Amino acid sequence: MTAILSWQTRRSSKVLRILPIIEIATLVVAIAAPFVLSERLDLVTLATNVLILSMLAISFDLCWGLSGIMSFGQALFFGVAGYVIALVGRDLGFSHIWGTLPLALLSGFVLSGLLGAFLLLGRKTPTTIFVALGTLTGSYAAERLVSGWQYVGAGNGLSSIKLLQAGSYEFVEGMAFYFLALAVLLVVYIAARILMRSQLGLVLAGMRQNEERLAFFGYRVQLFKALVFSVAGAIAGLAGALYSYHQGFIGPGNMGPGLSTTAVLYCLFGGTGTLIGPILGTIAVEVITYALADIDAIKSIWPVVLGLVLLAVVMFQPKGILGFFVSDRERVGSYGARPQDGA
Amino acid sequence: MLKAGELRAGSFNRLVIMDFGVKLAFDLLAFTSVMVLIVLGLGVVASMMGIFNFAHGEFVLLGAYTVFIFHESGLPIWAGIVAAPFVLALFGAALERSIIRRFYAAPIIAMLGTYAIGLVIRETVRGLLGGHYKSIPEPLPGVFTIGDLDFSIWRTVIVITTLVVIAASWLLLTRTSIGLQIRGSLENPALARSCGIATPRLYTLTFAFGSALAGLAGALIVPLYQLSADIGLRFLVQAFLSVMLGGVGTFEGPVLGATAVGATAAGLPWLVIPVLADPLVFVIALVIVKFRPQGFITQGRL
Amino acid sequence: MTSSKEEKSASGAPARGLSRRQLLSGASALSAAGWIAGTSGGWLLRPNWANAAGPIKMGIATDITGAIAPSGNANWQVAQFAVEQINQAGGVAGKPIELYLEDTASDPKIAVGNVRKLIQERKVDVVLGGITSAMRQAIKDPIVNRGRTLYIYPQLYEGQECTKHLYCTGPTPAQQCDELIPYIINKLGKKRFALPSANYVWPQLLNKYARKVIQANGGEVVFEEYYPLDQPEYSATIGKIKDGKVDCVFNTVIPPGLQPFVKQLYESGFQRNGGVLSCVYYDENLLNYHPAHEMEGLYSCLDYFQSVNDPFSAKLQEAYSKKFPDTKYLFTAGSASTGMYRGVKFYEAAVKQTKGDLAREAVSAAMDKGKIADGPGGGAEMVPGKMHCKMNMYVAQCKVDAGKTRYDVISKANMVDPKEC
Repeated sequence: MTAILSWQTRRSSKVLRILPIIEIATLVVAIAAPFVLSERLDLVTLATNVLILSMLAISFDLCWGLSGIMSFGQALFFGVAGYVIALVGRDLGFSHIWGTLPLALLSGFVLSGLLGAFLLLGRKTPTTIFVALGTLTGSYAAERLVSGWQYVGAGNGLSSIKLLQAGSYEFVEGMAFYFLALAVLLVVYIAARILMRSQLGLVLAGMRQNEERLAFFGYRVQLFKALVFSVAGAIAGLAGALYSYHQGFIGPGNMGPGLSTTAVLYCLFGGTGTLIGPILGTIAVEVITYALADIDAIKSIWPVVLGLVLLAVVMFQPKGILGFFVSDRERVGSYGARPQDGA
Repeated sequence: MLKAGELRAGSFNRLVIMDFGVKLAFDLLAFTSVMVLIVLGLGVVASMMGIFNFAHGEFVLLGAYTVFIFHESGLPIWAGIVAAPFVLALFGAALERSIIRRFYAAPIIAMLGTYAIGLVIRETVRGLLGGHYKSIPEPLPGVFTIGDLDFSIWRTVIVITTLVVIAASWLLLTRTSIGLQIRGSLENPALARSCGIATPRLYTLTFAFGSALAGLAGALIVPLYQLSADIGLRFLVQAFLSVMLGGVGTFEGPVLGATAVGATAAGLPWLVIPVLADPLVFVIALVIVKFRPQGFITQGRL
Repeated sequence: MTSSKEEKSASGAPARGLSRRQLLSGASALSAAGWIAGTSGGWLLRPNWANAAGPIKMGIATDITGAIAPSGNANWQVAQFAVEQINQAGGVAGKPIELYLEDTASDPKIAVGNVRKLIQERKVDVVLGGITSAMRQAIKDPIVNRGRTLYIYPQLYEGQECTKHLYCTGPTPAQQCDELIPYIINKLGKKRFALPSANYVWPQLLNKYARKVIQANGGEVVFEEYYPLDQPEYSATIGKIKDGKVDCVFNTVIPPGLQPFVKQLYESGFQRNGGVLSCVYYDENLLNYHPAHEMEGLYSCLDYFQSVNDPFSAKLQEAYSKKFPDTKYLFTAGSASTGMYRGVKFYEAAVKQTKGDLAREAVSAAMDKGKIADGPGGGAEMVPGKMHCKMNMYVAQCKVDAGKTRYDVISKANMVDPKEC
């Protein structure tokens, strides 16, 4: 954390920075939460789920907030990695953490690398629309393929997934799993933060403002985009593996456009391009959903409310919840403006 | 699937094969018509405003739902089918005026916005339907017979309606002054405006027209399927690919694209096992679009 | 809302957990929202004598919303119905049964989380529910393995579920095929079968068994094919049925893909030309999904039809329609309702055996030798060590009178063996 803070202060020391405060507050709450909730296993389970889905939201934020790729397919990498580790557990009987999590990372990375190369690279620069629809199609086609493929359980998905192991310890839902997920999220977050603040991040920020100009400078813009897309895919894969172990179940729906667009919702709701925003968005959406699930009158119209919220965010508050607290200067100064039409 | 011995036993003569070919062609045509109806509205809006309407599937759903409401309240189904496009035209116009026009400058934001609209519509209808599937009978049930072959009357109605709609849309765009204005503002919006064409009004009209087509499609297909909240979603990704495949900015493009996708989707199960055929349609279409991003039609854009 | 604070504390259950999630909050609010017709939660109030012993907590996890909501709602109503009868008769071993509902929403992804609530938060003693095989496979791990709770699965299914502490109270492929297929081949003289199917595990395994029975009886399988669940277009399939000279379509396509399939099959003139359509999960509820003429002549084989007229079943139906007048969720077999009834009764019988001991091992041991004298379509009996039960099976055909469908029972087989595990 301190390393990140020093980055911050170096950039503009005069203005009060709010983002780091939010980040630290979130971390403190995240560490304290399971102790407060410890007697309610179902709430610890919920909190763990939120941490895992936050990674998916961060993965989308890297695509859209950092490099301007509208990905409607982040769940594809999430789901595929989840299936991979479920199959490794089922067919090879292997679920040791030192092997499976890197495997998940790798499968997300390779798959998103391939899809990214197909969609982004080539002689002609693809339109943003093509990339958006391409990711959507990829995710949709994969969902349909998996739901028909017997080896991977077809429409049933894979259940009774072997528990994640560290040595002889097996992770079931609860405190241990929570802190594992928190640790992984922290690593992912710091890595994403460094990526965003790196020279690469700067190039991408410039590119979001004016892609052509950057191209004239000699940057191979599409290559950078594809690279970030792969990294984002790797993160989604990691999240998918943890999800799979935690739920003990992975199904075709976990790689389809439904979950992909949910990730978009988390991110837009929280505030794109801020990394912490997507986490807050995930927390807000998931916790409210869980709380409202008990109030049946609202439960039935809750998806409608979510849709209206998304619409309102898109129309009136494109900076998300964070936009209310964080000045434009802090957002824009460091992260670049939102791409208006996505080149 | 058939073994050789079974084929021989099945007295497979030439006449049977020909009958069979006719029947297959009809089925492909019927399914393709459904696709064309759905895609046409999407394509018109995409071409004109550069917006990929993620709520298009839900407009189809609303068309179907209109028929359902008519059916529930005891009114004739055909009346619902006639009413659906008008209901959707009004709905589309209102939506364009209030929300959609804010998105013209930013196609990606438009995707998100229309996705949200679609979500709201879909989940509302799901709540209203109580998550159930509803069966709506065809206004003209049954089959007619030519020779030994049975043809579904309702599918025939769909095919004919589709042809009429295509012809009418084409005439509208090429033979009327409003069509001229539309083509003009598609070619060069700034110039069109400076010539005194009210492009905002045209956009409203176009969007309403696209919505009406979606409504008609939904109303016509609902007797073939069951009404459920996901009826439109099922076709959405295929419809997007059809538009990309045919080429944005043309009239013929989406029609051709839809024909290609529809025929592939209905025909591919003959060649590969059905579960593989399904995702394969998407992959094939996507690869073609990648290597021919301008679409089938590049000449004679509207 | 029917619960009150005093009762909560009286039960000795963790009051904190219950104060927020109230007993049966699901049901009553659902009915308020119009999702469930005609339910009122009032009857589940614990009787006064409840203070004597802690209640038995029974969790129902079924599909109240989503694609198969009609079946799920029927299940839920039957569970309420059966439990009410038990409570009115004095409960089980001096304890009343308390019902908790979680919606599995026809989506395994959502279900896994919701079922966990039953286990982790409400700490139920037994879970009944799940309709599709996808659902069972998704929720059995959180219930049986991770949750260490007894699980009763009520639906007819593909067999081969031999998990300890998981009891199946619906018919297996053997029970469904052993009567129906010989009837079609020997009595109706149809020998060329097509097996069009939805692509998931139930049709796969059912077909495997059906194929064996078809071949053993001298029939032949022309093709066996699997489609995405929502396939809208079946011309290729109809083509294969025509040129394969198929005379019996043994269908395992399910909604939403079923409606267009049946329509296209009917339009192709299959039935008019003497073809037979059979569909082993089709009950009275599902007939209403289609125009009557498309259903005429359909053969089904289930553990109960409403036209089965033994006195006990008739009384059961009467009491059910008294409790849920004009309900659209019928007490039928294909929706797992009969299995649900049997499940509740088997559990009751087991807890009686253990004299109120609710520990999983004890109840499970008693379940294993369980026997119920009466039920819809007759009694049932667990095959010891097999976690499946013997039951009566009926073959029936759909008839249409003035646009109304009904089933005519053609034959009955007594206490058919499930042949599982």
